[in-house]
Amino acid sequence: MDIIALFISPLLAIITGMFFLGISRKITARIHWRYGPPLIQPFIDVIRFFSQMSISHGRFFDFGIILSLTGSFVLVLFLPIGELCPLTSGGLIAFIYLMLLGPFGIALSGGAAANPNSSIGVSRKLLLALAYEVPLLLVLLAVMTHYGTISFVDIVKIQASSGWAMSSWALILPGIAYFLILPAILGVRPFEIVMAPQEISSGPIAEFGGKHLAFYTLQHAMHMFVGLALFVDIFLGGGTLFGLLNPIAGTVWAVIAGVIIFLCKMLVVLIIGLFINAVYPRFRIEQAIQYLWKWPTLIAFVGLVIVAIIN
Amino acid sequence: MDRNQISKWFKNPGKMAHKYSFHAVYFCTGCGIIEIPPSITTRWDAERFGIIPVATPRHANLFLITGYVSTKTLKAIIRTYEQMPEPKYTVAFGSCPINGGMYYDSYNTIKQLDKYIPIDGYIAGCMPRPEAVFIGVTHLWKLIDMDKADGYKRYREDYALYRANQEQLFGELDWPPLFKNEKN
Repeated sequence: MDIIALFISPLLAIITGMFFLGISRKITARIHWRYGPPLIQPFIDVIRFFSQMSISHGRFFDFGIILSLTGSFVLVLFLPIGELCPLTSGGLIAFIYLMLLGPFGIALSGGAAANPNSSIGVSRKLLLALAYEVPLLLVLLAVMTHYGTISFVDIVKIQASSGWAMSSWALILPGIAYFLILPAILGVRPFEIVMAPQEISSGPIAEFGGKHLAFYTLQHAMHMFVGLALFVDIFLGGGTLFGLLNPIAGTVWAVIAGVIIFLCKMLVVLIIGLFINAVYPRFRIEQAIQYLWKWPTLIAFVGLVIVAIIN
Repeated sequence: MDRNQISKWFKNPGKMAHKYSFHAVYFCTGCGIIEIPPSITTRWDAERFGIIPVATPRHANLFLITGYVSTKTLKAIIRTYEQMPEPKYTVAFGSCPINGGMYYDSYNTIKQLDKYIPIDGYIAGCMPRPEAVFIGVTHLWKLIDMDKADGYKRYREDYALYRANQEQLFGELDWPPLFKNEKN
């Protein structure tokens, strides 16, 4: 079972992430009163990228993007998707460490390309990562303190018995703070400063073409999946829904139903994020840092203090 | 996407994906660029056919040259074209790249763009409307299906000729040759 899960969960993450990219393009189009591309458009794009020639700018250029994709792969293995969780040890601490591997790989690759737009994009990417890591750490610290564990699986289990973290009044402030930094983690519109096609022509991926771009698209899809799944896991109770699955607990059907519920929750969070993405303009980098270090950090810190006083 | 095209997808996925995922890089030379915003935004919505504008030539496989080409911008066009990864398709837009159009007697406008980079298709008109752009794209689909959109192959085979034409215009070019074939 564990070995099957080891293969299934990254595959599920890639396919779901690609569909999420398609859904996000479609919904953005509908908000603009357009018809929009078909849902499988990202798959078509990736097939095309793989069939195209790519230009390499040296060994680090190839290595960085592979490192970034590997980082996202490993990250998915730590996530409980419903009851599907290949790696149960390590928990949130390992997760925080591995979460930097994705941006780091892209930065390595973009830096090797020696394109000025890439360099600007890389510096923006690392600054943005620095900006959202502070509130993210506070949020995760509050969650770990409240539940008294660093294990992902235990956090989901406690929520299954005592209700979602988002609905308990101790953790509502960290939940709100996480939702406020979610666009920064996903890299969507108010925080699209890293890609910014109109300003710095796609930033770190300006020199990616062909297979490199295909790998980047897969990494982007998985990163999106991870950002959403983390929110669902620690605040929306993972793959549980008000004890709906209790009668069939322990069977294969419970695992499948848990995964489906988990994906539905992710879809809801994604669509709310897309509404923000479709109507807001882009921050400048210093505005983004100012925002991220002010409101989400403040809310998360107050939440952490409240959690510390209660426990 | 048509259901009766599924067999084609299994036969040659790369070619079909190229047809339905045009990432276009526009060269905003002349008045033709005015027609691009309506065709990619709400009114005509090119994204339903998979056509989106991208910011860098490395991501692109469709190169739209919108309007007249002056001698100065031709240099940038050649460099952009050479940076695009193969397979790549070029579509020239309006009358000017075909024969000079209304600038037929201008001293610094390129009259026939096909001498300097290979063009897969022309959309005639001054200016062509967004509908004409879509008809051009469907023609390009047919050409790709019949393997006739082979501009990038022609550029590779006849590179010496194209390079000679470019050098005849500019004198010494300040970038090295893209291909090192010893033909001709």
